[in-house]
Amino acid sequence: MDMTQEANPSDLSLPAPKASAFLERYALLAFLVVMIGFAALVSPTFLHPANLLNVLTIAAPLGMVVLGQTFALLVRGLDLSVASLMATVAVLATAFRASSNGMIPVIFVAAILFSALVGLINGWLIAKRGVSPFLATLATMIILQGARFAYTGGAPISTLPPGMRTLATGRFLGLPINLWTLAAMALALGALLHKSRFGREIYMVGGNPKAAKLVGLSPDRVVIACYVICSICAGIGGLFLLGYVGTVSNWVGQGYELDSIVAAVMGGVALSGGRGGVGGALLGVAVLIVVGNLVILLGLPIDVQLIIKGVIIIGAAALYRTKLV
Amino acid sequence: MTFAQAIIRRNRLTPSYIIVTILLIALVVTGAIVSDRFLSWRNISNLFQQMSVLGLASLGQTFVILLGGIDLSVGSIVSAATVFLANFLDWRPDLVWVAIPFALAAAAGIGALNGYLSVRLRVHPLIVTLGMSSIIFGSSLSYRKEPGGSIPPGFDVLAFGSLWGVPIPAIALFGAFAIAGVWLQRSRSGRSLYFVGGGFENARLNGLPVTRITTGVYALSGFCAGLAAIFLVAKTGVGDPRIGAALTLQSITPVVVGGTILAGGRGGVFGTFLGVLLVSMLNNLLNFSGVSSYYQWVLQGVIILIAVGLRDKGGES
Amino acid sequence: MTAPVIRLTGIEKSYPGVKSLDNVDFAVAPGEIHALLGENGAGKSTLTAVMGGAVKPNAGTIEYLGRNVVWRSPKEAQAAGIHVIHQELALFPELTVAENILLTEQPRGPLGLISPKARLKRVQSALDRLGVSIPASARIGDLTLADQQMVEIAKALVGEPRLLVFDEPTAVIAGREVDLLFDNMRKMRSLGIGIVYISHRLDEIFEVADRVTILKDGKLVGTHPIGSLTRDDMINLMVGRRLEQIFPPRPAKPTQGQVVLAVDRLSAGDRVKDVSLSVREGEIVAIAGMVGSGRTEVAEAVFGARAVESGAISIDGEAIPRPGPRQSIGRGVGFLTEDRKDKGLFLGLSVASNIVAPALDEITRNGLLDRSKESDIARRQISGFSIAAPSPETRVGALSGGNQQKVLFSRWARIADRLLILDEPTRGVDVGAKVEIYRMIRSLADQGVAVLMISSELAEVVGLADRVVVMAQGRVAGELYGDDVSEESVMRLAVHTQDRGTAGTIQ
Repeated sequence: MDMTQEANPSDLSLPAPKASAFLERYALLAFLVVMIGFAALVSPTFLHPANLLNVLTIAAPLGMVVLGQTFALLVRGLDLSVASLMATVAVLATAFRASSNGMIPVIFVAAILFSALVGLINGWLIAKRGVSPFLATLATMIILQGARFAYTGGAPISTLPPGMRTLATGRFLGLPINLWTLAAMALALGALLHKSRFGREIYMVGGNPKAAKLVGLSPDRVVIACYVICSICAGIGGLFLLGYVGTVSNWVGQGYELDSIVAAVMGGVALSGGRGGVGGALLGVAVLIVVGNLVILLGLPIDVQLIIKGVIIIGAAALYRTKLV
Repeated sequence: MTFAQAIIRRNRLTPSYIIVTILLIALVVTGAIVSDRFLSWRNISNLFQQMSVLGLASLGQTFVILLGGIDLSVGSIVSAATVFLANFLDWRPDLVWVAIPFALAAAAGIGALNGYLSVRLRVHPLIVTLGMSSIIFGSSLSYRKEPGGSIPPGFDVLAFGSLWGVPIPAIALFGAFAIAGVWLQRSRSGRSLYFVGGGFENARLNGLPVTRITTGVYALSGFCAGLAAIFLVAKTGVGDPRIGAALTLQSITPVVVGGTILAGGRGGVFGTFLGVLLVSMLNNLLNFSGVSSYYQWVLQGVIILIAVGLRDKGGES
Repeated sequence: MTAPVIRLTGIEKSYPGVKSLDNVDFAVAPGEIHALLGENGAGKSTLTAVMGGAVKPNAGTIEYLGRNVVWRSPKEAQAAGIHVIHQELALFPELTVAENILLTEQPRGPLGLISPKARLKRVQSALDRLGVSIPASARIGDLTLADQQMVEIAKALVGEPRLLVFDEPTAVIAGREVDLLFDNMRKMRSLGIGIVYISHRLDEIFEVADRVTILKDGKLVGTHPIGSLTRDDMINLMVGRRLEQIFPPRPAKPTQGQVVLAVDRLSAGDRVKDVSLSVREGEIVAIAGMVGSGRTEVAEAVFGARAVESGAISIDGEAIPRPGPRQSIGRGVGFLTEDRKDKGLFLGLSVASNIVAPALDEITRNGLLDRSKESDIARRQISGFSIAAPSPETRVGALSGGNQQKVLFSRWARIADRLLILDEPTRGVDVGAKVEIYRMIRSLADQGVAVLMISSELAEVVGLADRVVVMAQGRVAGELYGDDVSEESVMRLAVHTQDRGTAGTIQ
């Protein structure tokens, strides 16, 4: 998908003037600040701690998915199976519903292993078989969906493993646990991307796979690893969303796949790979969530919410003007 | 170049066509084994009738993907059009010949907006059409949250009627694909898709009116979605704001399976036709065999992977 | 003098922070080949863009065929008869030659539909008339670069141009194809077409141009008839100072160092049939030959980036067990690729990141990057190679072509302590940077590195190499050294076996 590719004016190589580079990077942040200000003005409850905590709690699972999606995007791909994976992990977790609280770590480990397996499959299809990321992850999405529905027979499950609910809705030092988890994940993955050698390899492989090979990297390994990370994040997000929602319908997390792509792209993660990072992606989530919350607080009906969401998506992306190199 | 490669190149057969055809043959054979009613005229005409909606949506999607873009608003345009048609015709059943052109024009207009915005705002069409999808969906919901409306008597002939024994939806489908095929290969405007898809900046440098072409192609996609909606509403009799939700991603699969690559510039409607046939026949066969729809999904995903995974590496972009 | 085809007067063009063109005058007479010379960033591309309608000047006038014009778009300029043939060809690889040439002007059949048969016929007859022997039904992506360029030229000629601008056309072709190109240019000149020729290769300019205009930093330095300038004069005008010598002196005694690279009867794919060569410590061995003779493929095979069918490659006497870029790098081998943007640089990353790219181990500690060490390394390279970058963190995509090439060069020079493979090391680089790169290559050799250099620029091959291996059609046609090395002797070997290329001339 390279519709908006720009020509490289052959040696009109002028360094981007300071002003516009600054604007580009902070435009979205400014937009977010403006939105928050606007929200505070029109709705007295927006800045209320209870509301903010609520917002952040709902946002956390999406944030986790977006973190993972960033990795897929960075290596010139995308992952459409994340939402389906979330739901499948949630469904699998309910298999433990008769267990004790002590099983929670086991549930997490099982979820992570399962997600990693899905990520491995995605990554293998994309890196080793040359299947387009769109199709590969679309296929896994559908397959997971079928498996999940077959398991549940299409019916929602309303008993959860004990402790999941408290985990997802509980507080630690006043802030929601899932927010802490998101923060921990963001810090860890951010450090991975920006401070570790592996992170540098990701940017190199995403920026120029051919050159990466010629400097001795192994692009296939990097790509597969990124999809594994993406899926694991989605799996963890699925567990927290499960705990928050309280019941498992087969459609948990529906729409998160496209939302996560939109949030990341709004935040400057290029669809063409090699650009962007964790900070920007979370910024994108923040924008989506603030706008979402604002429309709810204003009591706007769902249809208006959707319209506003659509406008924001297009507007914010236009604002950031993802320049594809 | 080996002999086989030469034959393939000369006849413009692509690996995709061959793979899909083989899969189709496999399906037909399996179907014939599973049930002797599979190859009955009745089932076949049933099949084509079901294919029409997906087929038309995929046709529109083919144009957009050839251009190097994508249209994620197809599903919501289809839904919105069914809502519009069913409710308008419920109010004024006599104004069929007003309702249909209006619906088509509106659908095309939304598509045009998609294309225009993606070029002018320099935003990737994935984002633009996704945002538009949300806007359109919201608009449909604001009009009506539940399925409703009605169609005048006789309207359903579009879905269930036949002409000289051939179901009308099939005629529409074949006709649309045939016209599209000729247009793409043999007309100036049609060929321009391949230019723009083969290199957006290149096309611009060569003097092609890229904004106009992009706007037009997305309008075409919207138009096809509108057409699909007409046949859909003729079948279901109601307008439903959620009915097209799955259609969006479903409309992309046949295009890609049929050999049109997501990067644009290569492929065509014949491949999409084969792809639609494959997907629909698979669904049909699975229904016949009484396989639960859940396993159908699994199989669908697997078939996609087979069709795509068998192409040599690098055939997809 | 007869009225010029085009006359630009007082052209000014500014971009934020930079004045690309500052009061530039430029005129091209009908039936002349007018060279446009200048370092990268001097304004040649901008001037071309102004002539071709892609860019509107902030000030100044354009007089075309006697009338003042203002181009609103490249299409307008094209319709008027101005065609620019860019270095990056504006062709559509998936489509045929015929479609590319006719674009939107394809012939219609009875029903008003495009007729592929008529299209093929029309283009084929045009190509035949022009003497080009490329089939009109060929897919562009399947053609060699030289042939693709020929299609671009044919495309321009079909439109009956009055002014043709060639932007560095010899960057992708060499040897006989260049001769053909020049023949065609002369024929077009004799038809009264005005031709602008942009190139960094001074020898070519001397060979084919009538006049030369030199730009420097956006300003016009001067316009001179070609006979009135020497090579040194030209360089002096371009660079603003005297360059004593383009090519650094060779060491007095030919090197007798140990053999670093030994290639024995190498065969890889259909481009490399049976190649044997060797390079010693301290030697600069150039591989010359025409485009398509297999040179790059040999380099790729040596580096481990291409599968080998038969034959042996050894570095310092040992074969590499499972060849690959990483292993080669580990043995002290570096490979500067032909296309720096396509396979070389990470345009979105910083200069520092690009420099340390093959040596991440050096800056990795416990899995984490040592950014300050990376910066130090980069700073040393930046100063050592005189790279014009504001800081090590500058995005490489923002640098000029010459500086980008230096970054790439420094990346490999740093880690290649045994063998450095260079593929067209000065492509798209202006004279000033070229001289610097030549000096660097020689100094590396003096330190004991074995250098294997692929080059299509004969002057470079003759001026820099200690030994020349000439390839033709996948085989070694011969080796030359010492006094036997000259442009003629190299060319003679390069065309020795009949070339099967389909590039054609225009009659």
